[in-house]
Amino acid sequence: MKELILGKLSMHALPHEWFTIAGSVSFLLLALTIVVVLTWTKRWKWLWKEWLTSVDPKKIGIMYFIAGGFMLLRGGLDAIMLWLQQALSAGEAHGYLTADHFQQIFTAHGNIMVFFVAMALIFGLINYFVPLQIGARDLASPFLNTLGFWLYIGGVIMVNMFFFLGGEYAATGWLAIAPLSELQFSPGMGVDYWIWSLQIAGIGTTLGAINFIMTILKMRAPGMSLWRMPPFTWGSLCSMIMVVTVFPLLTATLFLLFFDRYFGTHFFTTMGGGDPMMYTNLIWMWGHPEVYILVLPAFGVFSEVVATFSRKRLASYTSNVLGMIGVATFSLSVWLHHFFTMGASADVNAFFGVMTMVIAIPTSVLVFSWIATMYKGRIQFKTPMLWFLGFIGIFAVGGMAGVVLAVPPADFQLHNSLFLVAHFHSNVIGGVLFGIFAALSYWFPKITGVRLNERIGRYAFVAWVVGFCLSFIPMYILGFMGATRRLDHYDSATGWQPLYVLMFIGGLVIAIGVALQIIQIIASFMQRRRLRDTTGDPWDGRSLEWATASPPQAYNFTTIPQVEQRDAFWHMKQQGLPKPAYENIIVPKNTGAGIYISAFAFLASFGFVWEITWLIVASIIGVLAVFVVRTFNDDVEYKLTAEQVRKLEAERKQKDEAEQQRKAPALGIDNSEDMGLRDFTKAAATFGLDVIRNKRWRTWQKQN
Amino acid sequence: MSSNPKHHTEHGTTASYIVGFILSLLFTIIPYLLVTKHKVSGTSLLATVLGFALLQMIIQLVFFLHLGREKKPYWQSSFLVATVGLILVVVVGSLWIMHHLHYNMVPTEASKKLVNDEAIYQIGGEQTGACQTMGPNHQITIKDGQISPTHIAAQKCDTLSFVNQDDEAHHIMFGSFEEPQPYAGEDMLSLRKGRAKTITLSEQGTHTFHDHMHPETSGGFTVLP
Amino acid sequence: MADMAEAKLTEHEAHYNDRVQFGFWIYLMTDLLMFTVLFAVYAVLRDNTLGGPGGDELFSQPLALTETLILLTSSFTAGLGMIAARRGLKNQVLVWFGITFMLGLAFLSFELKEFAEFIHEGHTMNTNAFLSSFFALVGTHGLHITSGLLWMAITLIFVMRRGLNGPLVRKLTLLSLFWHFLDIVWIFIFSVVYLMALA
Repeated sequence: MKELILGKLSMHALPHEWFTIAGSVSFLLLALTIVVVLTWTKRWKWLWKEWLTSVDPKKIGIMYFIAGGFMLLRGGLDAIMLWLQQALSAGEAHGYLTADHFQQIFTAHGNIMVFFVAMALIFGLINYFVPLQIGARDLASPFLNTLGFWLYIGGVIMVNMFFFLGGEYAATGWLAIAPLSELQFSPGMGVDYWIWSLQIAGIGTTLGAINFIMTILKMRAPGMSLWRMPPFTWGSLCSMIMVVTVFPLLTATLFLLFFDRYFGTHFFTTMGGGDPMMYTNLIWMWGHPEVYILVLPAFGVFSEVVATFSRKRLASYTSNVLGMIGVATFSLSVWLHHFFTMGASADVNAFFGVMTMVIAIPTSVLVFSWIATMYKGRIQFKTPMLWFLGFIGIFAVGGMAGVVLAVPPADFQLHNSLFLVAHFHSNVIGGVLFGIFAALSYWFPKITGVRLNERIGRYAFVAWVVGFCLSFIPMYILGFMGATRRLDHYDSATGWQPLYVLMFIGGLVIAIGVALQIIQIIASFMQRRRLRDTTGDPWDGRSLEWATASPPQAYNFTTIPQVEQRDAFWHMKQQGLPKPAYENIIVPKNTGAGIYISAFAFLASFGFVWEITWLIVASIIGVLAVFVVRTFNDDVEYKLTAEQVRKLEAERKQKDEAEQQRKAPALGIDNSEDMGLRDFTKAAATFGLDVIRNKRWRTWQKQN
Repeated sequence: MSSNPKHHTEHGTTASYIVGFILSLLFTIIPYLLVTKHKVSGTSLLATVLGFALLQMIIQLVFFLHLGREKKPYWQSSFLVATVGLILVVVVGSLWIMHHLHYNMVPTEASKKLVNDEAIYQIGGEQTGACQTMGPNHQITIKDGQISPTHIAAQKCDTLSFVNQDDEAHHIMFGSFEEPQPYAGEDMLSLRKGRAKTITLSEQGTHTFHDHMHPETSGGFTVLP
Repeated sequence: MADMAEAKLTEHEAHYNDRVQFGFWIYLMTDLLMFTVLFAVYAVLRDNTLGGPGGDELFSQPLALTETLILLTSSFTAGLGMIAARRGLKNQVLVWFGITFMLGLAFLSFELKEFAEFIHEGHTMNTNAFLSSFFALVGTHGLHITSGLLWMAITLIFVMRRGLNGPLVRKLTLLSLFWHFLDIVWIFIFSVVYLMALA
């Protein structure tokens, strides 16, 4: 009877290890804090109406940033734990993690960083800025947008669920290669959590990509041909087309693994005629293009940043775009380089080795185009440009390491060594993450209306680069010395320990860099009077997103701009900006359908993990029911008349002016320049004391 | 080029659906008859069936899905072409890779490869018994559950083909039913109906074989030096 | 022939219909790729019968032909239903799609019968990799057909109650795209699974 209701759930599933208790308590405390703040400030309805059910891609973008940022901290904590273990665990000492726990941590670290940090932050950027850049008001399907976001959140919850119930995550590495991930060798529910968190998030990603492609191809402003689109939009288009091409492969493969575990089929089992090597083949067919999916929007961001901060237009737009298309196309023909050592023999290895090296060519075209843009430009070393410079150095080294690995005989030595780990982290951190940082610092004024504190930004950048070098240069060296990846313990006679300790220290320096980035944001808001962006165009930008207020109104533009050239906004500024005009705007209504469907999808997945049949059936019915109700509901939009738009614009102008007049908090800082760390500490202390002494929390409640 | 074209739903006439339907019927029935009447087999069967499938797919794309009638830019057709390209990469790529992996990595195949294909006839001074050249071919046919001839004599390094002319599959193993032994690296020869498999007679002596599903179907061969 | 349904659309609705149809087409491409993985897995694993019977022994080609002809006809009637939809002829729509629904149901029942027979004889998806791949590929197609029938039923009920309005014609368009696409996938299942078993 209990089995019927609860499936495989039991008291034993509740947290009883130190890390599951710690994790559960942390999450609960966080949830409690949020609940308390929302109740105290009476903001539940506001949260639901203004944010959770919103279909505005700008709001959804910000929610992606918040969730992705949070998961970055979670994945970063995993990394620190791993480094600490490796620094301690040499010879007689065995560190503080069991081998199995260590394996779960590196699995979770990989999954979280790829799926729940990088994809989320990139989706946030595309959501926010592609409609602005192409002169559109919204994405093609606002409903699919919110659905995709909440499915992602379902994945986030699922990947953290094991803390509360089950106590174990997959211990198989981030791709859960068969047969280790089969029931025979992973009998617990960890791999099931792995499967379903990726499956939900993956479907959300695919739906989102379809939405972005529809938007870019069908909703550009009049006059904006494909060859007049900004490079970030191009990078996003290439990336999203890749998503729709390869994520179905992942979805299918995950279903097959799920079938093996749940129904006892024999796709990848060692017995019954299954072929585990086919799993490796299929999963890397997805896995390799995935990393290019992550990096192409970053390339697009860098093209914009380099042009803006060199005060020059992008040198050779055509080769830049063709480079991105080339990377996207070739990335579909290289996947076997992840398993040169599996034994497919010389001709197969040679073909894929050559194709892997060929990818360096379009990538180099991009690098040369950026360098050519900087040449004879008037370079401004603002934060976004600093991130670009960090990227160029680190990504190039990582790329060269990749070409080394592309040679099969060399790979036979270096496969699954720390050299490999250093290679892909150089590319993912140097390329994707620095790209995201550059994008966020470039577009921060647009999103918030406040420019970023440059001084602390420089400190953060230096900390990141120093930390990265401290962590990853030893890793390259260790790779050559023979250290393999995923080692939780090694012989002290190897002499590796000092390098592992260096890596851990580097990790701490990176953590300082992250802290500095958070401080940078807080400090910018503290000095917002000084750093306010009143024009909407703080960098003298070239593309259409700068033609709006900071932050933009919900409908982006009062009238859709007419585009005549590449660098549309730059051109408009030369011609003289058009007078404001107003027209009727059709606005999509908010909807909770995305939340409900994702909640049911999450429950169904939970049911699959714990084999609770009634929950599975009920949840699937729930998904279908909400979907049908939503899609057969024809009343999903409302109209804003031109008069109403004009009023909204006038109100906005008034609000901005009132904001400027408001008294700044007396924080005792010099507002003539960006504050440094000492000033920040002083200001934070003053603010904190002020809050405590004058019991300011009471006024917050009253204000709301 | 502007991205606000008038909506261009492509739709067809009753005539186009009828034509598509009839052609699809034809391209279904023709390969069906060719295959079930055994007019094609082996590689030509694969090619024929795939060819007709592709033809019918194109017919249905044109007449049911109206693919040719899209206005510029041809987004739907472009995506379809790209998808077909990717399908080829996935299928052909997987087949090529997995074929090589099986050839190199599957244990039962590996010893056979060692002995026969790579003609490794000496390891550490010991003869493996592999053949440097292959002799003439002998045939044993299985029909109606009967083996003919029930016993053959051959020279070392001749080849022996088992041909299954029955309607059901046969699974040839060597040695007795109670204690099957591998011969020349072969554990079991699975012969589907109409199929044949050939082995190299690299081990001397008199050996027996049987159908593991029907042990009364059995025979033997003698390999002379 | 008057395109009455489309003449009544505003430009906004027309653009929306165009986008949605394009987006749905891209979804169909992703579905095709999912099926491709199942086909690739079938191609790689189909000889792994562990000595058990293979497709040449298990499959009934006449049954497969029956299923193919049923599905092909249903694709044809769906097309005729779409022509009626664009002309705004509600009753014809109900008739043609009703026939499509019946044919789809017939297809499913033949397929379920085939599965039941295999399982009854002890050839389940757990027996060996060949059968796992067969059930996954053909079963996934069957699941898609089932979803399509569910979609069809709900849409037809709405057509009966609300009449043929713009959004419903759009939904029928997407549904017929889906249905034609499923027939195309079936052509390959018929060819690769059932006919090639005799190779």
